[in-house]
Formats: sequence, C-alpha cells, structure tokens
Amino acid sequence: MRMRKLTVMLLVCLMAIGQVWAQERTVAGKVTDDKGDAVAGASVTVKGTKAGTATDAEGRFAITVPANGRILIISSVGFATQELAISGTTMNVSLKVDEKSLTEVVVTGYTKEKKSTFAGAASNISGKVIENVPVGAFDQAMQGRAAGVQVQSGSGQPGSSANVTIRGISSIAGAFAQPLYVIDGVPMPAFDMSSINPNDFESLTILKDANSAGLYGSRGSQGVIVITTKKGKKGATAFSFKTQFGFTEPPTPTNFELMNTQEMFAYEERLGLMGQGMTGPGWVYSKRNPAYNVHIPAQFPSLAAQQARYDFLRDSLGQINSNWGDILFRNGFSQNYELNLQGGSDNTRFFVSMGYFDQEGTDLRSRLRRYTGRFNLDHTVGKLSIGWNTLMGYNITDLNEGEWLGNSPRNPFQMFFRAKTYENPYRPDGSIIFGASTPVALRQIGNLMEGLYNSQWITNQMKINSGITLAYKILPTLTLRNVTGIDVAFNRQTRGVRANSFVGSLQTLQNGYQADASQTVSNLVNTTSLVYNKKFREVHDVEVGGYFEGIRGYTQAFGSTLWNLNRNIDYTGQQAGAQPGTIPQSSSARSGYGIRSMFATAKYTFKDKYTINGNIRRDGTSRIVSDENNQINTWSVGVIWNAMKEGFMQNQNFLTDLRVRGSYGSVPNINSIPGGSYSSGGQGGFNLYGVPNYHAAQIQGFSANTAFVNNSPITGLSPNSPPNDLLRMEYVEKYNIGVDFAFWQQSRARFTVDLYSNLTRDLFVNQPLWSTSGFYQSSLQLNAGTMSNKGIEVTMAVDILRSKNSLLTLGLNHAYNVNNIESLGGVPEFQAGTFLLREGIPYGSHYNTRYLGADAATGAPKFATLDGGITNDPGKAGLFADFGTFLPKHVGGFNLDYTYKRFAFSALFSYQFDVVRSNNVWSWITRGTPGFQNAVNASRVLLTEQWEKPGDNKFYQHPGIDRGFTSSDLMDAKFLRFRNLNISYNIPALNIAGMKVIKSAKFYTQMHNIAIWSPWRGQDPEDNNNISLNEFPNPRMIVFGLDINF
Amino acid sequence: MKKIITIILASGLLLGAAGCEKLIQIEETDALLGATALKTVSNVEAAVIGAYGGFRVDMEYLLNSTFSDEVRTAGEFYNAATTHEWLYASQDVGLRDNYTAIAPQYSVINRANIILANVATADSTVVGDNTKRARLRGEALFLRAYAHFELFRYYCANYNPDALAMPYMEISTLVTSPRIKQGPYFQKLIADITEAKGLVPASVADINRANVAAVNALHARVALYMRDWATAEANATAYINLIPLADRAAFPGIWTDANTLEVGFILRRTTATATLVGGRLGSLYDATSASSTQIGVITWQPTDELYNSYDRVNDVRFASYIKDEPRLIAAGRTGRIVNKYAGGDFGTPTENINHAKVFRTAEMVLIRAEARAEQNKFTGANSAESDINLLRTNRITGYTPVTFASKDAAIDAVMMERFKELPFEGHRFFDLKRRNLPVTRLATDAPNVPAQTLAAGNYRFLLPIPQPEILANPLIEQNPGY
Repeated sequence: MRMRKLTVMLLVCLMAIGQVWAQERTVAGKVTDDKGDAVAGASVTVKGTKAGTATDAEGRFAITVPANGRILIISSVGFATQELAISGTTMNVSLKVDEKSLTEVVVTGYTKEKKSTFAGAASNISGKVIENVPVGAFDQAMQGRAAGVQVQSGSGQPGSSANVTIRGISSIAGAFAQPLYVIDGVPMPAFDMSSINPNDFESLTILKDANSAGLYGSRGSQGVIVITTKKGKKGATAFSFKTQFGFTEPPTPTNFELMNTQEMFAYEERLGLMGQGMTGPGWVYSKRNPAYNVHIPAQFPSLAAQQARYDFLRDSLGQINSNWGDILFRNGFSQNYELNLQGGSDNTRFFVSMGYFDQEGTDLRSRLRRYTGRFNLDHTVGKLSIGWNTLMGYNITDLNEGEWLGNSPRNPFQMFFRAKTYENPYRPDGSIIFGASTPVALRQIGNLMEGLYNSQWITNQMKINSGITLAYKILPTLTLRNVTGIDVAFNRQTRGVRANSFVGSLQTLQNGYQADASQTVSNLVNTTSLVYNKKFREVHDVEVGGYFEGIRGYTQAFGSTLWNLNRNIDYTGQQAGAQPGTIPQSSSARSGYGIRSMFATAKYTFKDKYTINGNIRRDGTSRIVSDENNQINTWSVGVIWNAMKEGFMQNQNFLTDLRVRGSYGSVPNINSIPGGSYSSGGQGGFNLYGVPNYHAAQIQGFSANTAFVNNSPITGLSPNSPPNDLLRMEYVEKYNIGVDFAFWQQSRARFTVDLYSNLTRDLFVNQPLWSTSGFYQSSLQLNAGTMSNKGIEVTMAVDILRSKNSLLTLGLNHAYNVNNIESLGGVPEFQAGTFLLREGIPYGSHYNTRYLGADAATGAPKFATLDGGITNDPGKAGLFADFGTFLPKHVGGFNLDYTYKRFAFSALFSYQFDVVRSNNVWSWITRGTPGFQNAVNASRVLLTEQWEKPGDNKFYQHPGIDRGFTSSDLMDAKFLRFRNLNISYNIPALNIAGMKVIKSAKFYTQMHNIAIWSPWRGQDPEDNNNISLNEFPNPRMIVFGLDINF
Repeated sequence: MKKIITIILASGLLLGAAGCEKLIQIEETDALLGATALKTVSNVEAAVIGAYGGFRVDMEYLLNSTFSDEVRTAGEFYNAATTHEWLYASQDVGLRDNYTAIAPQYSVINRANIILANVATADSTVVGDNTKRARLRGEALFLRAYAHFELFRYYCANYNPDALAMPYMEISTLVTSPRIKQGPYFQKLIADITEAKGLVPASVADINRANVAAVNALHARVALYMRDWATAEANATAYINLIPLADRAAFPGIWTDANTLEVGFILRRTTATATLVGGRLGSLYDATSASSTQIGVITWQPTDELYNSYDRVNDVRFASYIKDEPRLIAAGRTGRIVNKYAGGDFGTPTENINHAKVFRTAEMVLIRAEARAEQNKFTGANSAESDINLLRTNRITGYTPVTFASKDAAIDAVMMERFKELPFEGHRFFDLKRRNLPVTRLATDAPNVPAQTLAAGNYRFLLPIPQPEILANPLIEQNPGY
C-alpha cells in the first residue's frame, strides 16, 4: 500500500515536471524483436531530455516528446540499443538481438540484470559448450569452464555427479556441501543430475559472491548455479533431431607399472630367500627354496615326482600373464537420441524436447539409460504472463555390486591392481574358474567374474522438476510475481546376489541376498515478489523489490533386506526361506524441514555509470530448534562503476569496456548445521538410503541402556549424545572486488579479474566436552572457529583471428584459492580422516609421519621426529602437517575455438595443481612386506628400490618391517587434462524440388578425457576426496553426432 | 480478469504468510528425542534405571586401596607407580585411565537432571503413576547427591564452607560452570538428600534401588565428612534401626553373596551383567584366570599392615577378606590375595563376580561411633565404646568388650576398626584425608622408601582436575599444587 502511494507520488512529480515543457508532442509505437515478437519493458527515452517510458506487455509505448527532442533511444536487456530520429507520431521499432548481450545479462534466478549494472561476481557458461558432451551428469561438463568453479569427478560411473566447490571449502561440518542448483527458478538437489538432459539448457550462471548468491540466503553460501532452459520462439514450429553414438574407454594409468608374472616370481623368491614367509608360487615352487628338496610323502610318491610337479607348476603358472585391464574393463557403447519442437504465436510460445541417452561404462556392469522430457510454455495475456517449465526424467543405472563392497576382492577397481597376473580366470571353453582360492591356485578374478554375473545393483530415479510463474504488471513499473515450484525424486534401489551361485553360497545363510529400498525426496518452493522499476529523468534508474518465500522439503525412505533366497527365482525376496539369527532387516523413516524467508532488494543506477545495490534477507528455518537462533540474516551491498559512460573515456579508443565492481555481505550456511540420519532400507550394513534427522545434534537423543539390571524388569533409557541447543548457523563474510575490461577493436580481448576474501564465522569445530555436560570428552560441534578463503580469479578471451569467414578465440580461466583455518576458538586441534584441523594451516592438510627411506645398515624404515631427529621406530615418528592439502590451490582451464566457414573446432583443457592426495593404492603396491606381497600385486619400483642387504641405499624398507602408511604415499595429484575436443561441420539447407527439407544440420565428433598429463601414479589423479583406493576412473569417450533442424 | 488474477495472487500471498510460521517449526517425527523420549512416567522410570546404569563404585574401591595402605603390589604386575606412589600431575595417564571421576559422576548427574526436568510433567498412563513420580524424583535426587558427594571426595579439600567445591549441576546444560564454594555446594547436597528422604520408599524390602535406608546412609556419610556429628549419628542410627548388623555366623555370607544382610543399597553383578556394569569387582585386585590351574595375575595383595591387624583365628573378617591361596603358593607364587570379591573359583565363569555393597550397617555403626566420640560420648551406653563393642562382638569369637578412657582413644579405635572392617570398600584413603592423617606404609608394603609416606595434608590428597577438562572448560579452577 505504501509502495502504491509512493508510486503515485512519484508519477505526480514526474507529470509536474512534464508540464514545464511547451510544444511537446506524443509519439506512440510498438517495439518488437527481429521475429516480430513484442518486447515488453523496453526503455524508450528521448535523447538529451528527461523524457522516458517503458513498453507494456504488448511492446507498446507512448511518450511525450519535449520540443527539443529529436532522437528516440530504445533499449532492452538482450537487444542492441537503437537510436532513431523522431519522425511522425507513430514509430514501430524492431530491435536486433545483441549476440554479445547474451553474455551481457546476468540471470540470478530472482532477477535478470544488465551486466553493466551488476555488482556481483558471476560466471556464465553458455549452454552451447556443454551441449552434446557425452557425460551422464552435466556438472562434469563444467570442469575447466568457469573461474573459481572446481569440478572434481569422483567416479567414472555413467551418470555420476562431480563434486563442485566454488571458491574453496568454507566449512568443516559442511565441507562438501554442494552449491545450490536452480532450474528456471525451482531449486534442485545436487547429485540428481543423471535424470536431466543438459541439451535443454540455454545457459548456466554461477553466482559466487555475497551480492549475487546472497539473494538465496542461507542456501547460497556455497554459491548458486542458475540454469535457464531453452524457450520457444515465435514462428513456425521447428523440429530438430539429434543423434549421437560412440564409445567409452578405460583410461591409461600414469606412471603405474605393476610387476608381470616373471617379475613377481623373482620378487617372491627374493623375499623368500630373505626369510620372509612367502606363500605365492614364485617361492613355494622355487628351486632355491630349501623346501624344494624336502619330500612331502603324503602328497608325492617321491621327491623327484614332487620336484617335477613343482617345475611344471612354476613353468606353466609363469606363462600366464593376465592383463586385468582387458578382462575387468571394456569399451562401452554410448548412444543418444533427441527430438525437439519449438515455436509459438504472439501470445504463446513452447519448447518441447524428448531424449534417450544410453551409455555403457567401462566397468562390465556399469550403464546409464536415461529418458528425459521437457515442456516449456510461455503465455502472455494482457498484463499477465504465465510460464510453465517442466522437466521429467527417468533413469536406470546399472552398477557393479562388487564396487559397492568397497575394500573387497570382488571389487574390480581393487583387483585391477591387486590381483596376481598368474591367475587365469577362464577355461579354454570360456567358462569361469571359481571356488576356494589358495595362494598357489588363485580363484580371485574367477570369483569376481562369477560374482559379477550373479549379482546386480540397479538404481532408478524418476525426476520431476516443475515450476509455474505468474507475473502481473500492476503498473508498467510495478510487477507482482509468483513462482511455485516442485522438485521430486523417486528413487529406487535394488541390490542382490542370486541364491543359485557360488557367490550366493558365500552370503549369510548361504543363499544369496536381496536388498530393496525406495526413497522420495521432494522440495516445494513458493516465491511471491513485488518489484518496482522506474527510470526517473532518464538518469536515475531505481529498482526496489520485496519478496516472500516458503520452502518445504520432505524425505521418506524404506527398505528391506532378505537372505536365504529361493534358488529357482532370481533377484527377489519372494519365497525366501527362514531368516534365523538375523536382526530385523527392514526399516523406514521420514523427515522434513522448512525455510521461511522475507527479503528485499534495492538498486539505484545513476546515468548507467554508477550503480549501488543492497539486499537483505531473513531466513527462518525449522532445522534450528532454538527460537533464538532459528532466524538469521543475509545481507549484501554492491557498487559498480561503468567507466565507459564517463565523459573522459570518450576521448580514448583503446578500452572498449571497463567496469569496476565491489561487493560485501554476509551469507549464512544452512548446509553447515550438524545433524544425524535415520537408518532406512534394511539394517545390517544394508543401509541403502539415509533420511536426515535434522535435530539429532540439537535435541537430547536417547537410547536403550541395559547396563543396570539389578533385578529390574525395566530396560533403562539414557541420553546418548550431547545436545547442542545453542547451535547456530555458520555465516560467511564475503568481500569481492572485480574489474571487467576489454580492448582491441570491438572488444577482441576481454578480461575479468576478481579478488575475493571469504571469512567463515561461527565455524563449527569439534570441541571436546567438559565434564558437567555429562559427556566428558565427547565431541561437540561448537560455533567457535573462523576459516578464510582468499583468492583471485582471472577469465580472459581473445579473438586472435577475426575475419568474415573465421574466428579463432583463445579462452583461459584460472583461479587461485588459499584456505586457512584462522581460529579454532580455543578448541584443541583435531584430526579428521587423513588430515588435521589446526590453526594456521589450510583445511585438508595431510597429517602423517615423514618417511625418509630405508636405513642403509639395517633396512629399517627411517622417520623424522618432531625435534628434527631420525628414528626407526614408527611409534616415535613425528606427525607432520606440512605435506599439502587434497584441495587444489590452482584450478582452471583453457580453450581454443576456431570456426572457419562451416567448420568449427573447439578444444578444452582443464588442470589443477598444488594438490596432494593419499595414494592408498600406491601404499599397497609398494609396501614390500610379505603380508602385502602375498595378497596384492606390487609395483616394479620394489624390484630396484627396496633394501636387500646392508649398505643398500634404498627408499623402500626391509621386507620384514612394515613402514605403515606414511608420507611416501602422499602424492602430487596435479594434472593437465585434454578434456574435450569437438569438431563439427555445418551442413547447408537441403532443398528437394523447391521444398526445404532440412533447414540446417551439423555433423560432429566429440572426444572427452582424451589425454592426461600428471605425476600421479594410478588410473586417475582426479577425485572428489582425499584418499585414492578402489576408484572408478573417468573414462575416455569418443562420440559422433548428427543434429538436423527441419 | 484483472480482478481474478489479483485475487489469486493476493490469496497466494496470504496463504503463504499464514503457513509460514509452520515452516520454522517442523519437528522430527521419527526420532526418540527430548520430551518425546520421556513422555510418560514409565519412560521416566526407564530413564531412572538408565541413570542407575551409570552408577559405579569400582573406581572408589581401587583408589582407596591403592592410594592408601590397604594393598601392595604382589610383584607380578605393577604399572601403577604414578598413582600408587603419588607421583601424579593433571596429565597423568594412570589417573586418566582409572580415576577420571568427573566423567562417570557428571554423567549420572546429567541423567538425574534430565529425569528431574521431566518427571513432574510426564504423562500418567498407568494407575499409580502419580505416586511413582515422587519415588522417581527421590531416586534422581539421591543419585545427584551421591555423585556430587563422590566428586567432593576426589577433588576437594576437607569440608570448609569457604573452600572450593565442584560445580553443582542442577540442570542438564552445555553451559560451562565454575567451581563453587563448599558452603553452597553442601547446602544443595543436603537439600537434595533431605527431599529424597521423603520421596523414596520407606521400606527397605527393595535394596536394588534407592530406599530410605540408602538415603539415610548417604546423609550419615555426608555429615561425617562435614563433621556434623549429630546429623551423622541420627542418620546412622536410623539406618541401623532399619537394617541391623549381621552376626558372625551370617557375616561370611555377605561376601559370598549368599545373603544381603546389612546392605541398604546394592549393585548386583552377575555373569549376565558383569561385562555391562563396570566388570568384575574382584578383578580390581586379581586378573581372572584362564583355568583353575592357570590362575590370573595377582595385581594387588593386602599389605602386611592390614594382614597383621587381624586376629586371624577369631576374627571372622579375616577369612572373608584375605586368603593365603595354597594353589598359588604351590606354584611358587605369592599366596596372599584379596578374597572379598573372589566370587567363584579360579577359572569358573563366576570368578571375581561379587555384588557391590554400596552401604552397609557396619559402616553406619562406625560412623555413629565416630560421631558419638566427637560429641564426647566415648564411653557408656550409646557411645563410641558401645558401638565398637557391638561391632566387634558380631565379628570376633570370644570378644571381650573394651572401655575407652578418652575421646582420642575412642577415635583411634574407630579409625583402626574402619581399617579392618571396611577395606576394599572405598573408604581408607578418603578417611585418612578426612582426618588429616598421613598415609603410612610399612617398609615391607611400600615399593620404595619415598612411597612409604604421604604426609598429612599433602596436596596430592586432592586429585588434580584432569587436563582435558582444564582445556575444555576455562571456568574450572585447578587444585593447588598441580
């Protein structure tokens, strides 16, 4: 009401000013785009005067032109500004889409802003660069594309999402919380990407600082990825058909040489001669083994027969040299089909797409099949516009049941390096050799293959993401808008082993198992806003918005596990036998949360030169129990100076763009709140789906306590963990200073540089508890610490060659981020996984002993002590935290795009450096002890680099002494990856008998993960965590595609 | 049209605003959290059982034996030099691993406080719930008082209203608390005891949970430490009137768990629960045996001082408390062992399993004797003398009553009798501290010369506040000397 009054007052003022002018006239007209569609909200001003208006929903305008008015300026976001001499009283204007302006607009999800007045830090990824990239989850395609956006792929399983970190880790409790994903205004959970077709995306905007991401309040702390999907365009309905097929290939490991059979035999013999208890054939059948000359009467009639048998076994096993990569992995087939329709009339436009994507992974059982549909509808009637954007997706993902077991000889990603090459898993007829495995008669790979074909692990997801937007222009300057959205994922998971198989006989109750679970995750959002936007006197551009938003999330899951299955029917719990001795195998849980928000934005621009904006948002959430702490504010202010509008800049012709931006604000982090989870989906290690328990850390929980019986029939109940009812959300204070500039002809060289400093306050740290809490020395998540991330981001693009027929652009983006734990708030340092949380060092700093090689005299391992000495006793070895972190300090990418007439060539490289990961695989294959050697294949380095006799100066220690997991296994994981190569040819229109059969077409080939350069020893230096063991490496992919537009 | 749209949008806005308060108050529906867990009186009773589940006496037993002159190392296994020889500081590993009293005691206190916060408002669902509330509250108050008193015995100087006590926790909270003065600390403690007395069962039929005798016993013990002799005498008398002394014939049955005579509150240890409730009491002194021929390590054995204090022929206590095991002697090992908690034979499932007798009539008689002596009632009827004679008559065959010539003589006799009656029951070290006496060990009982004496009033009579607690709670004050 107050707003309305203000508007009226302002209008009256404006009209009063208008009265002063004499001899004025009125010009009216309609503004359309190049297709004739009305352009609503376009700014119409009279040059050199204060007169100005905006077009209505039909694109119409009427403006009173003062006597001195000569030229009309028409501008609108996304279009090139036009200046036209005023002639007559009716002027219809057609605006041209400004190609450059597509990147000149920043879509924040709540608003759409001109880049020249946008003070925040945001990166834009065009839908074109992720189009047709053959990855099942689109976030994988973002790697190397945007500065400060670190995309780390954790698995080569088709459809598996990457881990996305924007501007560093800003929380310990919520360390790997993902950015917020928003599709057409409707939030979508991260990791739900395997049911989404990225070819429907028009663009992705990544909001990084407080001024841009802060609009999303406590959900925006890790940054926001705003996805805008394709919209229909007015005109005849256009069809396009896309198809793609190709292959996925296992990658080539770097610096990773395992022993072959002959080397392994020699090495086993060597350890055996050193007195180590070797059990493999290399020693057991060795002629140099004293036992070779000792007759075992129970097994052989004579020593000669025994020796002959040993010789035969040694020679025949020695000739087996299995290549596990060939046996365990494959080249998978990949295909994609897609049909799009789009078109529309004056009032209604639509975009419809249907797609099918099918990709086999390099693992023998891995596969993603995805069915997607999208329906986008826009309808305008009078002052009301309606938009409905809907995504529906369904996927079937096949995984390897052995991979789920993790550290298991049934996991191909472990056996790839672990299995001895002298096992042959196949008989001559191709059947698998399986059964009990002994060191001299290995059946490990045989058992793995038998298990692989007698088990399954399938996940399905049905995904709906749908939003309806209603916008009503109460006044040309005042818009009321409501967005209602829902995102639902129906997940189902089934995992099992057939009863009638060898692997089934190894399960509890000896007859396979079957685990089934389902989960529903849904999120509803409703946003209502009132936005007032007006330009006063041509120079004062004001925008004020008020918003109210409600978010409600639900999770439900249930599941069960059964053993003792019926042997005649596979992968079902039906007719399962009795389940003696097993704990209850089914469970279910549900939970939910809500967020209520009110926020306001304000923005003022003076002469397109200076813009200042501010926003404030108050989020209340059920996830915090305390009434005192359950509401928290997000706020930010931003300024931008668009220097090109300054008079003095008109006199130079070097710079074509110069903008300086600054922003500061505070963004709380809802993902940092510690919680717990319910078990669901069957117990006993078969927890397929978790359901969050949001209040677990805040309200006292209880568990049964049977410790006190004292003849009491009552089972005791006692509190099981300390409740922190004082818990608050962490918040991040974010500073950003940025500059955008361009020069060389019409901006052939374009640069963006951002400097930022983010300081997390109220950081949750693990406080060991004091006694009076009742939980002495238990750990409590306490809001006590501070953590900083400071960095610089540089983005550049240079059109090296630009002519009528060709364009060669070199692009580069680089980000440098330094994390530091500023304070633990008096809490003592603590360990998490392989790393240490200590003041003054970055998050993720590896904490380990410093291994110094083998003692020349004894072969004992040498370790550094904290006081600078050397010890041979692992128990006295000092623990150091200066080996680096598993989060790269430098990440980036560069691309070279070249178009020549109908040809286009685009290459992308991505890289990371200043990163150290724990190479657990390396630790296993270089341990050099009988314990490891009897169970795991080894690296060739042991042949030359291990201590054998006094005087040897070698790195790896005496085989009789285990050095343990040390700094020798911390390894540089930097890499340069040839990420993507796309070569395409545009086929011209095809006319048959005067009929246009094909408007245009494109033939292309895409190669993904083509090559990698890295000092890392293993299959893939890239991962989403600190430790490398049993990883599904990213595959290499080659696809060929054809897009046809009808 | 315009109107309709306006109405739709406006009502959407209103609905959103109306539903909004709910959005920040969504409860966890599936978890046993907070008030949900303690919704009914039955639930609160389960929580009381859970609170007893944290009740232990093992730590007190071992501390009072090994810090004092009750036991010595048997020479078979000795890794407790820092505690046995009083060499500890606040970071001592021996203290940390065995005597971190703040952990179990505040855990019980926290459980009691959670009960106290819920017992009044929990729903009645069964007939009798409303009367049960009183009992449950009484039990929680008893547990809270008992645990706070234990903390005082470990960490505080002898009673003095101006001396430092520990934090007295009356609510379950994560707010850190400072140590308070003993004056207010004991006011709170006595208030809890006094209230509990009126709430717990007046019958002593059930000694598995707190009853009025247990509360009287605690009150007597607290008053003894406060040197409030009249109160100590009154409460001890109340206990003795409820539960008389066992005679010589029945006495050994107390220690074989054949009977529960004299016991006002018991912590039952059985094979089923032994692993759950702090383990086997006997294992504090001797490790369990692999078999009857492979007898476990004798960690601690009674000192010569204790061994020689008994009339080994006529005093029924000697055989119940101490044994010269012939099978050990035959194996060339030291034969003297603590027999009090021996349980079943070596290598049997019940070896070292014995119930903990938290309060016993003999202790009450000795408290009363001391209190009477301090009130100068050292001879005649209803005096220290009559109490000592009563106890000894029930312990020693052919006992001739004594007469005390002075208060001091009576008190010396009481202290000696406590030494002989209550060894391994968690009193000796605290008794010496309480009476401001030194720990003195015979040369044959001490591992070395410095470990023969801990001078009276030495700062190590107060245990240090453990270092992690000092780091975690900046408000806590360390004891002097550490």
